[in-house]
Amino acid sequence: MAAQAEDYTYLTFETTDGAKASVSVASDVTLTISGTTLTVGSQSFTLTNLSKMYFSNTDETTTGISEELRVNSEEFATATFYDLNGKMVDKSQLSKGVYIVKTNSRTYKMVVR
Amino acid sequence: MRRTLLSIIALVLTIAAGAQTLNVKVGSVTYQFPASQTGEMTYANGETVTIMGKTFTLAEISSMTVDNSKVSDGTIGVSYDGSAASVTVAGNVAQYVTPTVSGAHVSIAQSDELSEEITYTLSGASDDGEFYMSGSYKATIELNGLTLSNATPVYSGAAVHIQNGKRIKVKIVTGTTNTLSDASTGSQKGCLYIKGHAEFAQKGTLNVVGNVKHGIKTGEYFTIKNATVNVTSAVGDGINCAEYFLMESGTINISGTQDDGIQCDIDGDASTGETTDHEDEDSGNVYIEGGTINITVTADAAKGIKGEGDMRISDGDITVKTTGGGVWDSDKVKTKASACLGADGNMIISGGTLNLTSTGAGGKGINGDGTFTATGGTVIVKTSGNAVVASSSGTLSTVSSSQQLDRYDSDYKSSPKGIKIDGAITISDNAAIFVTTTGAGGEGIESKTCIDITGGWVTVNASDDAINASYNDDTKSLSYAGDLTISGGYVYARSTGNDGIDANGNVYIKGGVVYAIGTSTPEVAIDANSEEQKKLYVTGGTIIAIGGLENGAQLTQACYQAPSWSKNTWYAMTVGSETFVFKTPSGGGNTLVVSGASKPTLMSGITVSGGTSIFDGSAYTGATFTGGTNVDLSSYTGGGGPGGGWH
Repeated sequence: MAAQAEDYTYLTFETTDGAKASVSVASDVTLTISGTTLTVGSQSFTLTNLSKMYFSNTDETTTGISEELRVNSEEFATATFYDLNGKMVDKSQLSKGVYIVKTNSRTYKMVVR
Repeated sequence: MRRTLLSIIALVLTIAAGAQTLNVKVGSVTYQFPASQTGEMTYANGETVTIMGKTFTLAEISSMTVDNSKVSDGTIGVSYDGSAASVTVAGNVAQYVTPTVSGAHVSIAQSDELSEEITYTLSGASDDGEFYMSGSYKATIELNGLTLSNATPVYSGAAVHIQNGKRIKVKIVTGTTNTLSDASTGSQKGCLYIKGHAEFAQKGTLNVVGNVKHGIKTGEYFTIKNATVNVTSAVGDGINCAEYFLMESGTINISGTQDDGIQCDIDGDASTGETTDHEDEDSGNVYIEGGTINITVTADAAKGIKGEGDMRISDGDITVKTTGGGVWDSDKVKTKASACLGADGNMIISGGTLNLTSTGAGGKGINGDGTFTATGGTVIVKTSGNAVVASSSGTLSTVSSSQQLDRYDSDYKSSPKGIKIDGAITISDNAAIFVTTTGAGGEGIESKTCIDITGGWVTVNASDDAINASYNDDTKSLSYAGDLTISGGYVYARSTGNDGIDANGNVYIKGGVVYAIGTSTPEVAIDANSEEQKKLYVTGGTIIAIGGLENGAQLTQACYQAPSWSKNTWYAMTVGSETFVFKTPSGGGNTLVVSGASKPTLMSGITVSGGTSIFDGSAYTGATFTGGTNVDLSSYTGGGGPGGGWH
């Protein structure tokens, strides 16, 4: 019994910006490489942006809302915030709501609670 | 109870659940990575992905799929289908192998970093394909229903070529039939070539055709257990190996070869001799411990089974037939002829059944350069060719009369002897040996050193000396050179053209039952080399000698002569309470001599019942008899004539 291979639910891809996308492998899937793009299910990745993939038992797809950005971090210091209308806002005066955050390495949505 | 039931259900569900496998296909090769083993698979620069240490160029990947394929670690499968072949590689060894596929020609190179055994399973069929593997780590090759012919070699002319000097197991999968045929051109040493140690196993069948050289060639030892190997044709030997040959069981059938059936050579410069568990052995020995061997070889001077070392047979059914004639070896300046079994070392037979037939000129049953020791088993030898002789220039011809051979030097003739041994011959215990020769020069059993029979059953019908102890330049200085001693067992030695028992040294008869028949004077039933002051010494045994004994014999045990004897007639000789019944031959020397521990009584024309047949039906032990006429016996002191005579 110990030799029974583990049954995974997802194949998770991680891009160079740290974003992750999990694809169900509950049934057979095909990974197609066409030109500079790898496509699997509804997900497509630019090959140059892919850093790794691995099998996982949870959906590790990043939505942006699950990540924390600590105010005393280096990333926060360099980040600029925009409201959903694209207007830059003062990051020291943030009220609750959804913002677009741009840092040196990535851009993503953030919920301020 | 309910909890147990739920546990069982859960267990079954666990077993039934599939496990993902990532299949990466590159051309005809599919690498199968179990999801449980992959860990992080890293991409680099949009150009490569590395999975379990194997780096793939993304542009070369035909497809990647995730499915529930099952993967066994350490396995590589090669499936042939006409002009194509597909390869599957288990993920855990992917980084250590480099497969290359060209049509149905497959090459797999193992890296030196490989540290676990790979099992290669070959299946399918192709009439133009091959399998080539190189590496330096032991491996297993499974032949699982493979039909493979190599028509246009890419990597080797062999059908299967293992360029790997380690231990290679060849599993001929039980229930499967596999057929290999190599290319008709090339320099391959065998249709199935294995550089290293080859261990054949499992109960499948392997058919081999060797179109350029040997059927099967192994650079090191060859062992077989259970498997059936058929070599149906080979330009060279059927099976050629080095170090040693060991058959535990299974079946080997060899025919259609142009050289030997099985040949085993010493790999290095000198023999190690037999070692414990054959560890690091390089002896050139042939060991047959069981199984069935059927070999027919037709080439001139070919051997059915030849070992550069010893040949040790302890069990098995061995049938060998040679039909080829002699050849002139210009390098060694001597004639050579066929032999069913040949050993450069010693020949040891302790069990098994051997049927050895040689029909070509000079063809022998057993030819050994060392000693011959038989303690068990049944050996049946038949030779029917005439002697082959060579002129001073090496031109070969055959002779039809043994007497013609006397004018040829030993290197310029080869006689069709049943068992010809350069060293000492020892026969004892339960050995049963039957030899029949019919051609000119056909001595039955000959040693070039000495013969010692202490037990067993020896039955020889020969056209020349039936049993002959002689010597050569290497042995003549020995104090016992050419001596022949019988102290037990049952010995029947009939010659239709020479002596029944002949020694170039002394003959000692100390015990046993000896029934010797020589032809007419000057040949005798039992002869020693009186010309060189050698003698026949009779100190015991039960003796019947048709043709008489050599002049000058020292008969410590009294011998008696019958006034005449009748051919094809049953006689009973009673010594004390023991009765031995025997049938006289259709011809032989005039004098019938008998001897026993006490003066025998001899009855002629008896009717035999019961008992155990020996000497090919020419005698019985433990039999009873009725009728017959008493034969008056008179004292005998030696010589084959002129007294008496058969009628």
